[in-house]
Amino acid sequence: MTRYVLRRLLAMPLLLLGVATLAFLLGNLVKGDPLSSILNERQMNNPALVEAAKAKWGLDEPIPERYLTYIGNLLQGDLGVSFRTKRPVMRDLMERLPATLELVVSAMLVGCLFGVALGVVAAHWRNGPADHGARLFALIGSSLPVFWSGLIALFVFSVELSWLPGPGRIDASLPPPQSITGFYTIDSLITGDWPALRSALLHLLMPSVILGWTVLGVISRMVRANMLDVLQQDYITTARAKGAAVLRVLLRHALRNALVPTITIIGFAFAYLITGAVLTETVFSWPGIGSYAVAAARALDHPAIIGVTILGAVAFLLANLAADIAYVFANPRISLT
Amino acid sequence: MSKESSRQSIVGGALSAVALVGLSVTLLASPNAVQADNDTIVIARDTDFNSLDPNQAWCDSCQIYLTAAYEQLVRVGDDNKTIVPRLAKEWSVSDDGLTYRFVLDERATFSDGTPVEAKDIAFSLMRQKNLKGSPSFFMEGIDSIATPDAGTVDITLSAPDPEFLGKVSAPYAAILNADLLAQHGGVAGEDASTKDTAEAWLQDNSAGSGAYVLESYRPDDELRLVANENYWRDRPQASTIVIREADDAVTQIQMLQSGSADIAMQVDPDTATTVNAEGVVTELVPSANFIYVALSPGAKGMEVPLSPALREAIGHAIDYDGVLEFTLGGAADKMASPIPNGFPGTEGLPMPEQDIEKAKAILKQEGLEDGFSMVAAYPEFNVYGVDLTTMMQKVQQDLAKVGIDLKLEPVTFPVWRERVGGDHIPMTAVFFAPDYYGSGQYTGYFGMAPGITWYNRAGGDEVEGLQNARMVELLDQVRTANADEAVDLYHQMGLEMIKDRVIIPLINPKLVLAYRDGIKGVRYAICCNLPVEELSKE
Repeated sequence: MTRYVLRRLLAMPLLLLGVATLAFLLGNLVKGDPLSSILNERQMNNPALVEAAKAKWGLDEPIPERYLTYIGNLLQGDLGVSFRTKRPVMRDLMERLPATLELVVSAMLVGCLFGVALGVVAAHWRNGPADHGARLFALIGSSLPVFWSGLIALFVFSVELSWLPGPGRIDASLPPPQSITGFYTIDSLITGDWPALRSALLHLLMPSVILGWTVLGVISRMVRANMLDVLQQDYITTARAKGAAVLRVLLRHALRNALVPTITIIGFAFAYLITGAVLTETVFSWPGIGSYAVAAARALDHPAIIGVTILGAVAFLLANLAADIAYVFANPRISLT
Repeated sequence: MSKESSRQSIVGGALSAVALVGLSVTLLASPNAVQADNDTIVIARDTDFNSLDPNQAWCDSCQIYLTAAYEQLVRVGDDNKTIVPRLAKEWSVSDDGLTYRFVLDERATFSDGTPVEAKDIAFSLMRQKNLKGSPSFFMEGIDSIATPDAGTVDITLSAPDPEFLGKVSAPYAAILNADLLAQHGGVAGEDASTKDTAEAWLQDNSAGSGAYVLESYRPDDELRLVANENYWRDRPQASTIVIREADDAVTQIQMLQSGSADIAMQVDPDTATTVNAEGVVTELVPSANFIYVALSPGAKGMEVPLSPALREAIGHAIDYDGVLEFTLGGAADKMASPIPNGFPGTEGLPMPEQDIEKAKAILKQEGLEDGFSMVAAYPEFNVYGVDLTTMMQKVQQDLAKVGIDLKLEPVTFPVWRERVGGDHIPMTAVFFAPDYYGSGQYTGYFGMAPGITWYNRAGGDEVEGLQNARMVELLDQVRTANADEAVDLYHQMGLEMIKDRVIIPLINPKLVLAYRDGIKGVRYAICCNLPVEELSKE
């Protein structure tokens, strides 16, 4: 397995170079004036200012030359400076990635734990009230648009009931915890900043449940279908005949095999949410990668667009790799070569 | 795994779970646990920061920041008209209108405690001019700056400019600590546009003398200001100001209602009517912002060139009152010309009215009684509570009544910029917010005279008859006019711009000020939208 993992890791730079090249070309060939986030609208007809801005940001060079410069910098880990935020893209991404990961990991925990549990319950009591209830719950989660369910949840739990705080990662009156990992929950725990930890956990709760609910639907349906398939197998009948407890049969014998295809879905969902949780991030004013990507695209912020694309590609590659490795643990009969 | 170890695992797991739940309950126990500190004020806003360097920035949010962390020589007073002292305690203008002398307030200090001196003024204004950034044009007229002593600055212009005081009152004319900036790559000389590297440092630090200093800035998240310990005027009452990102009006209102924010800045009148929470105050105030449509006679590929007669017909076809009702439920005013109501020269200008019959008569006279088609491409913005697409749909309906088929094309801002500056756009829509109190910023942007932005966008010299000779004359006269004469000249320019009908102002929106009861000092200011140093909390 080690050789397999190494081989996959070694192939990543080449794949990323291809992704970066494609993103660079697409970004530079689409219609639009990237100066729109550099120079104000009223000055766009001022030739002196336009020339100065183009020269400063390297937009006066031919595209091939810009490409070579970009790739040269990329090989040194420099993703350039964002036209919009005027800060290094790497710094922007590294600040936002923990925010997104904190949200996505907690959402995936919600989605996976409840999704698997609901899937098992639904399969065990197939066509019973528990099955129907679980399927309905999952269906609602998959069907409700996040921008709606998020706003409603904010209205109910934050405005009306005052149980949970409003949008953001932490209460604005509190200074964010000293940055160590960028994860507010972990950083506040490490530094013993309990008010920040409480605020961060409270702020995390609603968006992760809302986002997790959307994932939950897919996972529970997948688990249910696979469980139903597995529960028909002879070895399950054998296990039952040998007097194994129902819970043991379900969790140790059936679920373990039913999980293999689900892991693929979980891997994809995780990678997708790294850049795709934009609606949740917008509704909850969560400063993550998704909202950064949308803002970059709207402003034609080339360095940021390419940076996010590369990050998204890395997330997919790593998530796929992690899913492949997880197969082995879920089912020891699978080997990676 | 043996039964014993399995049991131990289960017990251990159960204990861990209990501990985790206990910790969570302890941490999360109290409902609505998070309450803002008494002297921290949180502003919910859809921020548009494009830089925190005063000489590169250009945005509404930037104006708030640049008047909180920095100061200018003078400022616009509470009446949103009068120029009042700030770093300069007095000033005078030479008889020829070319030289402005500013005497600095000797008490003024930067946030690091060093005094504000004439060299800082010279450095800052020359950097603004030479950096060739968005606000550089304000200082283009400066010929030289002399510093006879540490407390006196003589600024000489290359030509008289009656609005120069207004320009140095703008947030972008912020005075920076020259020595500090020089340490971080700041350059003010003619090579500033290629040599200056201070913008990166200014994204994380402030270098001004304002009531607040920048504590931290995380784009798309929050900008945090703390009170300047060395502030030379009365210290602000709020120790911390946080501008928290909130993308839309509904989120802003929810933050206000839940207590997560103290002030919401971009709530539209429609959303404001849904606020019924106790402890939240909403009020409508007039603003100097406006949204307009612009016609370009020089646009390529037009079915019919937009002659003055056709532009007049379009002007008559629009239902101006209906547009206000349709977009903001009437919480807005009409505008006569592209100079905001209440600015010099606008008094008595005729307000536009819809006149369908007149529009049809003009079209018939032009042989276009069957109408024609044209494209309206505009940036897909929602600004001041107005969705531009909604507004343009109303214009589309109005023009359809006289047979003009308007094809709407909402586009992203970068695409709009490319099109409006390239082949031009037959009809577009965009907005304008003032940088200071003065009508010159409008006549110098919208007038049909060579070198002016909208003259170029409308086709410029390529369109016969587009240049307005009278406008050129008036723009020349206003340079040497005194204040009273200028008012009359701006009035005449307003009439000329109405006649040209290249710019048709549609909406002068009222702004909603929404804040929690107990927050004092919330007001709309022309200088900076919201002067945060005036805010306090009961």
